[in-house]
Amino acid sequence: VAKTSLTSPPWPEVELPDPVEEAKYHAEVVQKVNKMIATGQYGRLFAVVHFASKQWKITSEDLIMMDNVLEAECGDRIRMEKVLLVGADDFTLVGRPLLGKDLVRVEATVIEKTESWPKINMHFWKRHNYQRKKIIVNPQTVLRINTIEIFPCLS
Amino acid sequence: RYVRQLQRLQLLFSPTAADARGARQFVEEAALDFARRHPDVVLYVSPRSGWAPLLLAEYLNGTVREELIAGKTSEEIAQLATKLAGQSGLDIVRIRKPFHTDNPSVQGQWHPLTNKPSALTIQGPRLQPQ
Repeated sequence: VAKTSLTSPPWPEVELPDPVEEAKYHAEVVQKVNKMIATGQYGRLFAVVHFASKQWKITSEDLIMMDNVLEAECGDRIRMEKVLLVGADDFTLVGRPLLGKDLVRVEATVIEKTESWPKINMHFWKRHNYQRKKIIVNPQTVLRINTIEIFPCLS
Repeated sequence: RYVRQLQRLQLLFSPTAADARGARQFVEEAALDFARRHPDVVLYVSPRSGWAPLLLAEYLNGTVREELIAGKTSEEIAQLATKLAGQSGLDIVRIRKPFHTDNPSVQGQWHPLTNKPSALTIQGPRLQPQ
């Protein structure tokens, strides 16, 4: 059959490597990462955490605010589970979808429990003498992420 | 290490006025419990006649918040006091972002030239073979 411009797709054809070689390569990479974690060669760690129905990218010593009330008192230490991703300067650990609890540990403290600024909720229809005004104040909590730690037990 | 941002709570009420009844009940019953539960807050109780009952809260950054407690029951005053104890002295204004980081990027911030091969290794129909 003659070759036209539409016989092969316009992107370059990619050949997948051998599965055996791939497995060896994967094992090597895992060993290297394990060694790095065990010797403690990582600098700053960041993590993606699912908390209060939102996903946050957090590092140590940073502030996060939620629009709800937590059951912890001010000054309590909280451990966050549901970690989706952990990364450092040279490597990242991606969870499917979550990482194990014995791998990562994210700790945070409740700093403040305030209310939001007063939001105005108003309905007004013109020429109908209809207006309703309501002031909404939401309770908020402020957390500070203390530490993110990883433990060398990959597989 | 957690430092409570509330410095002092001053409860000013008058012993005779009718709208300070809740404040007087709070002082009789619940003030001791509140002081025991929050040991790092100083609670001053000072009766003065002729003034409206007030709850003054001073924070570590110098802001002073006054809340009127006229006509409130002692439970409401206790709730108010716990709410003030949990706040910090920052102004309650619209905050633009619910997060704040000092180090936003760990692996280096993305710019359009990351993950792209440099001009030496590129192969394309436009570059002449050398």
